[in-house]
Amino acid sequence: MSKLVKSLALTSALVASAMVAGSASAGDAAKGEKVFKKCKACHAVGDGAKNKVGPQLNEIYGRAAGSIEGYKYSKAMIAAGTDGLVWDEDSLTQYLKKPKDFVKGTKMAFAGLRKDADMENILAYLATFSSAAPSSGSDSSSAEPTAEKEALQTAAATSAPTSNTREGGVFGLGRKATDAEVAAWDIDIRPDGQGLPVGSGSVADGEPIYTDNCAVCHGDFGEGVGRWPILAGGHDTLTDDRPEKTIGSYWPYLSTVYDYVRRAMPFGNARSLSDDDVYAITAYLLYLNDIVDDEEFVLSNENFLEVRLPNEENFIPDARYEEPHYAEKSEPCMKDCKADPIEITMRAAILDVTPEDGGDDSAGVGAVD
Amino acid sequence: MTETKDKGSPSLSRRSLLKAGLATGGAAVAGVTATGARAEGDPVITEIQDWNRYLGDGVDAAPYGLPSEFESEVVRRNVPWLTADAVASINFTPLHELDGIITPNGLCFERHHGGVAQIRPQDHRLMINGLVDTPLVFTMDDLKRFPRENHVYFLECAANGGMEWRGSQLNGCQFTHGMVHNVMYTGVKLKTLLEEAGVKTNGKWVLPEGADASHMTRSVPMEKALDDCLVAWKMNGEALRPEQGYPLRLVVPGWEGNMWVKWLRRLEVGDQPWHHREETSKYTDLLDTGKARRFTWVMDPKSVITSPSPQMPISHGKGPLVISGLAWSGNGRIKRVDVSIDGGRNWTTARIDGLSLSKSLHRFYLDIDWDGSELLLQSRAMDEHGFYQPTKNELRAARGENSIYHNNGIQTWYVQKDGTVENVEVG
Ligand code: HEC
Ligand code: HEC
Repeated sequence: MSKLVKSLALTSALVASAMVAGSASAGDAAKGEKVFKKCKACHAVGDGAKNKVGPQLNEIYGRAAGSIEGYKYSKAMIAAGTDGLVWDEDSLTQYLKKPKDFVKGTKMAFAGLRKDADMENILAYLATFSSAAPSSGSDSSSAEPTAEKEALQTAAATSAPTSNTREGGVFGLGRKATDAEVAAWDIDIRPDGQGLPVGSGSVADGEPIYTDNCAVCHGDFGEGVGRWPILAGGHDTLTDDRPEKTIGSYWPYLSTVYDYVRRAMPFGNARSLSDDDVYAITAYLLYLNDIVDDEEFVLSNENFLEVRLPNEENFIPDARYEEPHYAEKSEPCMKDCKADPIEITMRAAILDVTPEDGGDDSAGVGAVD
Repeated sequence: MTETKDKGSPSLSRRSLLKAGLATGGAAVAGVTATGARAEGDPVITEIQDWNRYLGDGVDAAPYGLPSEFESEVVRRNVPWLTADAVASINFTPLHELDGIITPNGLCFERHHGGVAQIRPQDHRLMINGLVDTPLVFTMDDLKRFPRENHVYFLECAANGGMEWRGSQLNGCQFTHGMVHNVMYTGVKLKTLLEEAGVKTNGKWVLPEGADASHMTRSVPMEKALDDCLVAWKMNGEALRPEQGYPLRLVVPGWEGNMWVKWLRRLEVGDQPWHHREETSKYTDLLDTGKARRFTWVMDPKSVITSPSPQMPISHGKGPLVISGLAWSGNGRIKRVDVSIDGGRNWTTARIDGLSLSKSLHRFYLDIDWDGSELLLQSRAMDEHGFYQPTKNELRAARGENSIYHNNGIQTWYVQKDGTVENVEVG
């Protein structure tokens, strides 16, 4: 980008931010920090923030779009910046509402923020890391989190003794857990239904929730975007050269889907879904996997155990030590163990997927998990 | 002075020396040492060096000590194409650079599913609930008042070597075998904590859970929980590193690393396993029949030659050569390690050096006189129960190529005449 465009861009940014200063203060930076969890899988902001899947977001206000050096933007984003797009309250709002509509061809795989309050709050939060941002907003909102933090710390200091003793037990150490504490942490579900909360959700309810929270990584149909995990399909591939292990093709129990989504997803914003949301998403994942085909199907704690996944029968116990090489336990051969001449049958150098220090994109086969 | 510096090359890394040497062939590398034997003498001896004259840093230059600047190559590395995001990814221990059996804390490989949680120890709690007489909550200070134990154990990811099921793929034991580390843990026995809460008679399984964003869970059978599991807060004498679960982790000796839940915050006792994601979708071993084995917990007997190896070529030419490697088994001690230099036709029993501890790495050496010819190096571990390491083809015959986990097949390194080493398989 030429110097001229850059300085033009900067001026317009300053003007723009001055004009909207009022609305930035509408947002609450502390709440915005929570909203930022939706961005965190891909973006960093704050001291020492580095580029991740997306560029770092310090000094985003007044930044020309696509201008962080060393980050590989889409052509579309670079073009938008060259054409004079500068991030300010207005352009950020439009981009974050519907990224693909605002910058056609952007590679940001994010569905968009739906709620106006989330938008105001995230903008207030990002403003705290931008010197060119409307100042009133950042000042008023930064006071609160500090106060909150202090309150929390004092609470922790007074309410939690560093060590506890009690009657009973072998050593009398620790204290009894309260029912509320156990309920807060014990959210695990078993195949027999133990732990399922009361609630329900339909395939139709699940679709928009999935599209908003999951599709950016797992794809609209569970097909997986880039290297993010695939959630659907792969039926009858388990004996193929390249099996595709999904909820429908591999997982033995539906309870695992409910348990895992509730404890760990969406990635970067765990425990943010309601119990009904998780029922609805689980129903929708059954639909994406062709296990139910009725969009009106409602999954609940009542009918949960009626749904069985097709691959349940194919899990068997560990029998490694019955394999011939272990079972025989004979003394291994020490001399002249092979008759034929020894030949090299495979070489790593041929695939050449060992990473060099510069980092490369070539991909080998196989997985770690 | 400058001249001395150039000649002495103290600032040249060992790696660039190696690379330079390799480019011109092994014989030239031997020349590096030969330079020192010139008539006028080796300049690092005959000329006064900077470090002979000037003072170095004082005591507090690095309050937490760091490795020498000449060891900057000795770091964990990852394989970016394996996973979508560094936050749910893996990196590898530089085994080829290490010796003895203990892994330094900063080099222990990392695997997390939701990034590295940063937890103030004052804010950490461990809860025990489920089928117990009294559900309990412990602070870190509570835990430190229980009787403690120290043990050295290896931790190996079940997917170590997972990329090699279909054949040689990655050049370096850091990548083929580096999802293992071995440290001394300090902690309280899991049994002690469970007894404090009082396990009900129908309590047959324990579910450990992490406090990080992945809320990792695994089902551990009660028999193992009461046997040798530890709840640990120290590694190699200092606090756990954040990436190893600071302030608290579970230690499940000899069993797959995924069960060693980090940032441990809860232990639930139940009468059945939970079949959670990490023991169904993951960490189950798909066979060529389409069936999948589950609860494959033990890490089988395994070994690898760490030097020479692709990242650690022979740089000194013919003559005395130390073949060095690691062996381990989740079943207990290593009884014997055999080494072959001819691709598995003939074997010589190697020397196990240093401590031989149950479920710990063992260091072995075979000292040979290298005649400069090509070698096909292999090592084969045997544990105290008489189980020995199978070949990769034996494993494939029994399981197919899609198991991902538990690849403990015998590794072959092809040493060429110039000292370079490559990951290969032999027929
Ligand atoms: C799934 C990953 C992902 C998520 C989630 C995500 N982003 Fe992005 N973001 C990207 C990528 C990739 C780009 C680069 C876009 C391009 O080059 O077209 C980007 C670009 C941006 C830019 C433009 C930066 C510049 O330098 O021009 C802003 C601003 C932004 N994102 C804000 C956000 C905010 C705020 C959120 C959360 C509400 C968010 N993003 C969520 C991946 C993501
Ligand atoms: C920012 C990217 C991202 C988003 C958004 C996301 N996930 Fe995931 N998902 C992941 C990653 C990464 C993993 C693997 C984590 C690991 O390695 O432990 C995963 C794993 C999963 C798995 C297990 C897959 C398997 O084969 O074991 C399921 C099921 C899942 N996600 C469902 C969801 C649902 C439902 C949502 C929406 C509520 C969601 N995810 C949102 C990234 C994402």
